[in-house]
Amino acid sequence: MDRSRLFGCFLLSLALAGAQALTPAHHLSLPDVARLQNLLSQQFTDLESAYYSVVGLTKLGAAVSDHNQVCQFLKSQLDPTSVDSVFFAAETSQAISGCEIPVSNETRDILLAAVSEDSTMTQIHRAVSALNSLGLPLASQEVVGALTARINKEDNVMAITLALQTAARLSQQAELGGILEEIEDLTARLDDLGGIYLQFEEGLEATAMFVTAAYSLSDHVDMEPPLKEDQVIQLVNSIFSKKSWDSLAEAFSVASAAAALSSNRFHVPVIVSAQGPATVSHSQPTLQLLVTDVMSQPLASANVLVESAYAVASKSIILSQVPFTLNDGVFELNFMSNQPASGYYQFTIAVTGDSRLVANHVELKVKVSTEVAVTNMDLSVVDKDQSIGTKTTRVDYPSKAKSSFTADSHQNFAMSFQLVDVNTGVELTPHQTFVRLHNQKTGQEVVFVAEPDSKNLYKFELDTAERKSEFDSISGTYSLYLIVGDATLENPILWNVADVVLKFVDEEAPATIQPKTLYVPKPEIQHLFREPEKKPPTVVSNTFTALILSPFLLLLILWFKLGANISNFSFSPSTILFHVGHAAMLGLMYVYWTHLNMFQTLKYLAIIGGVTFLAGNRMLAQKAVKRIEKK
Amino acid sequence: MSNSVISVISRFLEEYTSSTPNKLKVVDAYLLYILLTGALQFLYCLLVGTFPFNSFLSGFISCVGSFILAVCLRIQINPQNKGEFLSISPERAFADFLFAHTVLHLVVMNFIG
Repeated sequence: MDRSRLFGCFLLSLALAGAQALTPAHHLSLPDVARLQNLLSQQFTDLESAYYSVVGLTKLGAAVSDHNQVCQFLKSQLDPTSVDSVFFAAETSQAISGCEIPVSNETRDILLAAVSEDSTMTQIHRAVSALNSLGLPLASQEVVGALTARINKEDNVMAITLALQTAARLSQQAELGGILEEIEDLTARLDDLGGIYLQFEEGLEATAMFVTAAYSLSDHVDMEPPLKEDQVIQLVNSIFSKKSWDSLAEAFSVASAAAALSSNRFHVPVIVSAQGPATVSHSQPTLQLLVTDVMSQPLASANVLVESAYAVASKSIILSQVPFTLNDGVFELNFMSNQPASGYYQFTIAVTGDSRLVANHVELKVKVSTEVAVTNMDLSVVDKDQSIGTKTTRVDYPSKAKSSFTADSHQNFAMSFQLVDVNTGVELTPHQTFVRLHNQKTGQEVVFVAEPDSKNLYKFELDTAERKSEFDSISGTYSLYLIVGDATLENPILWNVADVVLKFVDEEAPATIQPKTLYVPKPEIQHLFREPEKKPPTVVSNTFTALILSPFLLLLILWFKLGANISNFSFSPSTILFHVGHAAMLGLMYVYWTHLNMFQTLKYLAIIGGVTFLAGNRMLAQKAVKRIEKK
Repeated sequence: MSNSVISVISRFLEEYTSSTPNKLKVVDAYLLYILLTGALQFLYCLLVGTFPFNSFLSGFISCVGSFILAVCLRIQINPQNKGEFLSISPERAFADFLFAHTVLHLVVMNFIG
């Protein structure tokens, strides 16, 4: 047993070595748990629903309201002759305190009789569980025999899962090895969906109950279940991906699986998530992580460590082996103390402190955001021939330049500025830096991209002569805006810097002022037939027609010379019919060319062909007879 | 050299005229006719152009197909090949020839446009 455990640890460490491990994509968040509790705490109508409600709530760690009332309900509904009824009542009474179900000897005999090869797996499970809960003695080895026999008869997932659950109620001295092996067999029957989900085709309930049963039996015999780390995560994904449950039984199975996955001796999947968005900035310098089990219960005993953190853009490592500190159930790390530049960082986080933890190496993307400021905003109007010295005006954010600027076609309008990080003073180059010119009269807007030079100084120059087409050559007063934006900026900027009067030389007709309609129907597309090629002159084609017909003349001459003749022609009806039919077929070919389609032709051809075939057959047969007679 | 070629050819013609049955000569004349027709069509296509290309193709295919069918007929009715076609009488061969022709020309007419 020790050896297998060692081997398990070895496998686990191997899985950890392959850093790109799967992490759970689904778990029960706190609202999910609340909804599940809400579903389970509905008023029960019979013993079965009482069992699902009370035991399910207990699994979730929620309180069951009135124990006495439940106990009364159980006693009033109990049918001491039914195995099912006794099972539900006994199991429910176990979950609440101070409730004892009275059992007669008769009931005990019924339960013991149900433990045999001839009962169904459900009956055996319920009888054994009821006996166990009621504290009645039972021969474990006999039960193992009955279970093994039933497994061979009812070879389905639900039945084998029940057998596992039943085995977990038996004495540890019994030979449970055979049934324990069924866990591995069932694991092999799980369907893998895209490497993310692992489930039985029988449904969510079967999958969830299997997980519950596998862990309860493994805990019972203290043997690690043969599930790999990835398989555990895939099972977590498939059990907790469904967020609305169809029935009480399904909700119960999910609650049981959640309980099994958060408190067993071997595998506890860890859910690591950032509290709120995974963003740090100078105003919110700590990265806060929630480290929980699948039921969103915090794992306070865990140690959380940043194995490494690197900037996504530059791939440079900024942190390694730094622990998080636990603060009121939340793991915190002051990331800004490392003074990271704004951008995205990839964190590899390890959760340790318990050998049972599964999926305890997590990748997390963290955003470091900052605030931007515009500095050294200089505006000027420059003459193209540079004969007049430029006069620059400095404008401070967020005020607007007091006087407006005027640029005609001989002048350029120039603008230069820098973007700096407010907190560190470092120059920034955000993703989006636009200059927008908005015509105050027509509402037309033109947007340019401002590009930084090698010193991260943004320069924007507007050549009014060159750019007039983009303005449709409309002179007038334009509002100049600067737009700065980036995913890592907390304060995107839209700043009306100044008013600029642009004068274009050849102002075109004001018709262009009207905004162009984008949504006009496109011209209709006409089908264009292929132009027939030029025909050759008639003389040429006529000559060739004659030329092509000429070999026929040659044929006739040759045949004449060879002495071919029609002296053998007999005027029997079949002969005439055959020749007429043949001629008709040739005629039909011509008519097909000029008038008919394929189907009509085939119809006529079948008629003519049939007649010709019969006549020809007769004629050729006669000829053959003649030929043989001659011999 | 040229003498020997001429002598070979003349010998060949002599043998052909003397030893080939008259029936086969009739078929041979037909073959020659088809060959020439096809060759002339091809010549037209080379000199003038392929313009109604499907018409050219159907005419040419008609020639090629007819030629092949006639060759088959000739093989089957040749007395020297009697051993190979024991079950096929000359009449049967002719009937097959006509049937195949009907099918071929149905296709050709379909293609002529």
